[in-house]
Parts: sequence; structure tokens; C-alpha cells
Amino acid sequence: MPILKIIIKQLMKYCKKPFFIIRLILILVVTLNNLYLQGQVIPSREYQLKAVFLFNFTQFVDWPPASYDTEQSPLVIGILGKNPFGTYLEQTVSGEKINGHPVIVRYFENEAEAKGCHLLFLNIPESKKRNDILKALKGKSILTVSDGIDFLEQGGMIRFFTNKNKIKIQINLEASKASELVVSSKLLGVAEIFKP
Amino acid sequence: MAYPINARQHRISVLCLSLLLSLLLALPVDGYAQLSDSLSSPEALKRLSLEELMNIQVTSVSRRSEKLNEAASAIQVITQKDIHNSGAKTVAEALRLAPNLQVAQVNSSQWAISSRGFNNVLANKLLVLIDGRTVYTPLYAGVFWDVQNILLDDVDRIEVISGPGGTLWGANAVNGIINIITKSSADTRGLFVEGAIGSNLPGQGSLRYGGQLAKNLSYRVYGTGFKLPSAVDTSKLKADDSWSMIQGGLQLDWSPSNNNKLTLQQNTYTGDPNPDGGDTTSIRARGTNILARWDHAISEKADFQLQAYYDHTWRDFGNGFTEDLKTYDVDWHNRNALGRKHILTYGLNFRLMDHKVTNLELFAFLHAHKNLYRYSAFLQDEILLLNDRVRLTIGSKIEHNNYTGFEVQPNARIAWLLSKDQTLWTAVSRSVRTPARIDRDFFLYLLPGLPLISGDSQFHSESMIAYELGWRTQPMENLSISLATFYNVYDNIRTAEPGPPPFGIPITFGNGVRGKSYGVELSATYQLASWWQLRGGYTFLKKDLSVKPGSNDLNKGSAESNDPRHQVVVQSSIDIPGGIELGAVLRYVDKLPDPYLKAYTGLDMRIGWRSGKHLELELVGQNLLDSRHIEFIPSSPSPRQIERVIYGRVTCRF
Repeated sequence: MPILKIIIKQLMKYCKKPFFIIRLILILVVTLNNLYLQGQVIPSREYQLKAVFLFNFTQFVDWPPASYDTEQSPLVIGILGKNPFGTYLEQTVSGEKINGHPVIVRYFENEAEAKGCHLLFLNIPESKKRNDILKALKGKSILTVSDGIDFLEQGGMIRFFTNKNKIKIQINLEASKASELVVSSKLLGVAEIFKP
Repeated sequence: MAYPINARQHRISVLCLSLLLSLLLALPVDGYAQLSDSLSSPEALKRLSLEELMNIQVTSVSRRSEKLNEAASAIQVITQKDIHNSGAKTVAEALRLAPNLQVAQVNSSQWAISSRGFNNVLANKLLVLIDGRTVYTPLYAGVFWDVQNILLDDVDRIEVISGPGGTLWGANAVNGIINIITKSSADTRGLFVEGAIGSNLPGQGSLRYGGQLAKNLSYRVYGTGFKLPSAVDTSKLKADDSWSMIQGGLQLDWSPSNNNKLTLQQNTYTGDPNPDGGDTTSIRARGTNILARWDHAISEKADFQLQAYYDHTWRDFGNGFTEDLKTYDVDWHNRNALGRKHILTYGLNFRLMDHKVTNLELFAFLHAHKNLYRYSAFLQDEILLLNDRVRLTIGSKIEHNNYTGFEVQPNARIAWLLSKDQTLWTAVSRSVRTPARIDRDFFLYLLPGLPLISGDSQFHSESMIAYELGWRTQPMENLSISLATFYNVYDNIRTAEPGPPPFGIPITFGNGVRGKSYGVELSATYQLASWWQLRGGYTFLKKDLSVKPGSNDLNKGSAESNDPRHQVVVQSSIDIPGGIELGAVLRYVDKLPDPYLKAYTGLDMRIGWRSGKHLELELVGQNLLDSRHIEFIPSSPSPRQIERVIYGRVTCRF
């Protein structure tokens, strides 16, 4: 840094005034931008990608008609546990419709609230707690998704994992079938099939 | 200094440089938004297929490759699978798969490759990079294709950008950039052995072994060699220009943490191309290059790349003339998100080319030894506008070279997301081709002391202003189409000017041609079924060059180039159950105007069979439609016909 400063000093000799004004403007722009930034939560790349995956799942999974109250009822993506997506997931689904159902995002405090949703992302690190939630939701047509290592063993349906720094997915077909969800072959084609 | 810098120019450049430095200091340490804002806006990510999503690095430190895919430019990508399915044996053959390139094989070892025209054996308006290393000879500002060898299985992809890239890549990226990117050694583990032989292929073989030295530290070592067939002359006699090459090298990739990636690469080769053929002494070409690169993600909001390489090439032309070039290059570039709406990219580059030739009595570059220094700085800002639907990129490179001093290469690009699957883009850029040694320092004597041709110390840069308009769409999940149009305005293109009367010698180089070129590049990829992919494109190109008043160009304004007006490439890849692959590449190249050469159609076909993971057998036929044809007529040696090749290849992987 001191070297840069010396260089700058030397350079300033050449062109004093324009340099100063330009720098002033730049600092102003940067400050304004920083102010503007505050209050925005932007997720890591990993969760940006996962948010888009969640949205993609709604396109490649069919829910039984009974899971919607009316033809215009929303398709609800629920987040249980700490929200890792910021506002990114909402941005992702904003304006999207699946077979006429608008896609919306809800944040839940407990599993009881989550019972009406279609896709549930469990951001619950504790394995036991996750297990209890899955038990409580058993039989409901909810596509359950999580990062948990033993999530599929516990009866969860889709698990994200990283391999060579890339996001991959693993699917528990038995669990999704038991909940009357139809997973398209396109999604199965790129996923690892979990065999209990 | 031999070429004093204009004081005013100097001041402007210093101003720009100081502006850039002040920007660096003004940047806050934290508080800028997610770096990948524009690269991974929900809209951008939603356009990707599931497979593509799964291929994105969670923590990406590769700045440029990612950027290219989003760039508002005419980019086409040749994947490893495309290369493999085509049966290509060499890098140059693989480049035939890019519909936006003009690729012509001149004889057994020489190629004429360019984009958007101005093609010639000594083509000088295309920039070629192999893993970030510029392969360039200051002798004529072009590429010696006969030493650009790679084990093709190592290639991850080849990105071909037609159009100017001066702002990012600097001088000589006038009409296009070829970016050859090899796989990380983490993806080439195990033993790989291949051998090929056939009618008209004396032999080709490679051996590679890759493994892991420690956690996150992988390596590969390889050796590859070939002997390529002789072309035939116009009377169907063997030209005896068959030649061979061997090359070896290693690569180390180390990711000590998620945000650091270090790469060390080394290649060494020796070859004996013999373009003249017959009894002529072969050229001897040798080289070694070493490259080190550090990619670092400072945060999720900023990353940089620091790269240094040393590239030594040596070439003995067999007649006593030799060229010895040592290139030292250090490159640093940084990217920072500045607020939520700006991504700043800036960088510095220094290059020294220590260029030494051994002159002949009547053929000389003076001085025989010259140190060519090049230093440059660039700054580019990517601005998101109108709800992130419009991306405006503006920037410029300022570069200094020995011959012409400072050169400025600005560009402005706009990408507009019309809808989820449609992008309209447009760009205006300026690029230059700075003088090469041939333009300034070359002398060809009729008799000692009496030059016939002499370089001109007044020769300045060729320049181009390019106007581009393009459209990209994906009307269906399995079909993507790209249309790029361009209108290039050239000035100061090289001419050969006769000397004073009565004899008109020495002939010198001038900047006497100007003009324009325009064209259309249409390309598409169509996945008809999970087992059948079609890709290809059509390129239309028209040049309209004229000699400026005061110039008496002996080449009559041809700019020493010869380009087809129409060109078509179609590649089909079919996977049949049982591990059978059928590939075909059809290409049509229109007639060349001057010297005239008739149009030709080439067809390459390949049938491959994979038995499990370990064994693959292939049968490839190249140029199946005729037994031989001419693709390009060079000024010397005499024209050669390229013959049909049929070869078989066995590949084992363990």
C-alpha cells in the first residue's frame, strides 16, 4: 500500500485538479452504494444455486390435485429453520406459475405451520429434530428437501450434497412415492437414486 | 528512445492510470454486494438446465470463463465431447468445429486460421491463448500452428469469440480470440493410453497419468507424439512434407482452501515441420513453457487472478535463419462488486519478449536482437440497469509498446434480457493490431546493401472499430440459437508500397488500406433426443477494402488475405445403446477469391465403441467426400492437396 501511495503522489504532480475531482466523485459513489446496500441480505453462491434448484423441483415434480384447495391456490415453498436464502428465493419464484398455481415462499416456525405447503426446505442441522419433523409430516404430499447427511435414511426425499465443489442431488424415490408425488424422469436422470 | 512518446498522449495515459489506481484505493474493504450478482441473478440461473446448474462451481474462482458465458459477444464453445465425437487429431482440426472461424489446412504442417476474415498463413488479427498463455510470435504477430499441440483428451473446452477483444486481451485481439482451456488435473486421474494409426496416418500416441499427491493436490504428467501424413502436390505426387512432433509436460493443481486455487503447468516439445517438403531441410522447432497461476476469492464479493509465465520458443528454419523468443508475462486482474449494480474488473499486465534472430546475408531483421516491452492496464465496469434486465459494460485498455507507444482500446457493450430465454446485445469496440517485427525491422536484399523489401519505421498500428449486434434465444429447452452480426471499419491495414522510380525498390510496408467488412454468424445447438445432438452454424462474410489515396499497394488492397464468403459447419453426434457413438462433421467452404480456389465440402465421420469404462475403439474417416483437395494457396511454398485420412484409434483408461 505505501508503494501505491508513493506512486499516486508522483502521479498527482502530473494532473492535480481533475484527479482530485474524479476521486471525490468516486468516493461519493462508493459511499452511496454502500448505504444503499445496507438492509439487503444476499446469500452465498451455494444457496443461490440451491434456491434455483428448489424452484426447478416445482417444475419437475407433480403434486396430487388434492394438495391444492382451488385451481388458483398457490404452490407453497416453505422454509423451516433459519432462512439461508435471504430474499433470493423470493426473487427466484416471483411471477412464476406452475400449471396456473402461483409459486410463493413462506417461512415457518414449526412443523405444524408447515403442513399446508408443497415443498419444504429443512434447514435444521440437528439430526434428531429433523427426524421428529419428518415423522410429523409423514403421509402429507410435501416434497421434503434438506442438506442433512442422513436425511434420506430418515425418510426425507431430496438431499443436496457437494461433490468436487458442485451441487448434486440425491433422491429417495420410495419416500416420494409414498407421499403420492411424481418425480419426472428428467429430474431422476440427473439425480443419484438413494437405495436404503 | 527510438520512438518518442507524444507528450500529450503521455499525460492522458498517466491520468487514466492514476484514475485506475485511485479507484483501487477508493474501494471499500467490505460492504460491496455479492460478486456474482449479474452472473447469477435468479433470471440468469433459471435459464440453465438441471445439468448446467449441477456444473456450476459453488465457489467459483475462475473469473474469465464464467464471464465469457455471460458476455455480450459472439462466443461459441467447442466442448470436449464435440472434439471427441469429431475424430479430430490436432488442435487445428478441432478448431474446424467452430463455425465462426476460417480454418484451412495449407500443407501437412501449416494452417491458415482466422475469424471474421483476413485469413492467411501469416494471419495477424486473431489472438490465441492456451490456458491463459498467449501463443504469439512478434515475428509476424501471428501463431505458429505447428507447435501448438495439446493432448486433446486434456481439453475441457475451446471458447471461440469472433469479434474484437482488445479491452480485455489487448492488442492483436482484433478479429477474434481463441481460448483453449484444459481440464484440471483433478479431472484427469488414472492412466490414459491412446494409439492411432491408419491409411495416411503414420501414427499418433499419448500416455498420461494423473493422481493425487495430497488432499486437494492433484497432478498429471503426459507425453504425446505424432507423425502426420504428407500432403500431395497439384500433380498428385507426394510432397514429402510429413513431419513429427513429441511433447511432454505436467500440471499441478492445488486447492488449499475453497477460495484458493493454484496451478502450475509446464510443457516441452520438439518437432520437425517441413512445409517446403521434398529434400528441403526440415524446420526444427523446440520450446518450453512454464506457467503459474493463483486464483483467489477474497470474499464472495471480490476475487483476483495472478498469473506469470515464461515461454521459450526456438525455431531453426533450416536455411540458417533462426528465431529465439523468450516471453515473460505477468498478469493480474481483479474483480470487485461495487454496490449492487456495478462489477468492476481491472488489471495490469507486463510482457517482455526477448526476441533474437540469426539473420542471413540477404534476409534480415534489424536489429537481430530486440527486447519488446508491453505494459498495459485495463478497467471495465459492468452496470446493471432497468431492474437488472440490462447489463451495460464499458471499459478500456491502455497499452504501451515499443513501436507505437500508447494504444487505447475501449469498448461498450449492452446486453438486454428481452425475456427469460432471449437476449439482445450490441457493442462498439476499438481494437488495434500493433506492428510486428516484420512491419518495422524486416529487410530482404536483392544484393548485399540493396534491399528489395524493407520494413518501415513509420509503420503504425492497424486499427478497427467494430459495431456488433447479436441475438441469443432458447425457444425450447433443447434448442439454442445465436445470431451475431457485425460491421467492422478498418484503417491503416498493411500494404506493400513500391519504392522510388525507376526500379520501385525497396518495397516498404505502408498503412495504405482502409475499408469495411460485414457479416452474419448464425449458430445453433439442437438436442433432438437424449441420444442425438446437432450443432453447427453458417457464416457470411464480405470485405470491402480500398487503397487510400497516396498508396500504391502492390497487393491491390487485398490485405494479403483470402476469405470465403459463405461457410457452413454441421456436427451430428449420436449415442446408440451398447456404448456405440456415431459422429459426423460436414463443412462447406465457399470459393476463395484471390488467388482463386474453388469451393469444397468436407465430411468427417467417426464410429466409436466403448467397452465398459476401460476400453474404447474408434474408426475415423476424414475428408471422405473427395480423395484430395486444396484448402488454401499460400504465397510459398506451392499449393498442396490435403488427402483423405482413415485411421483407427484404441484408447485405454484405468
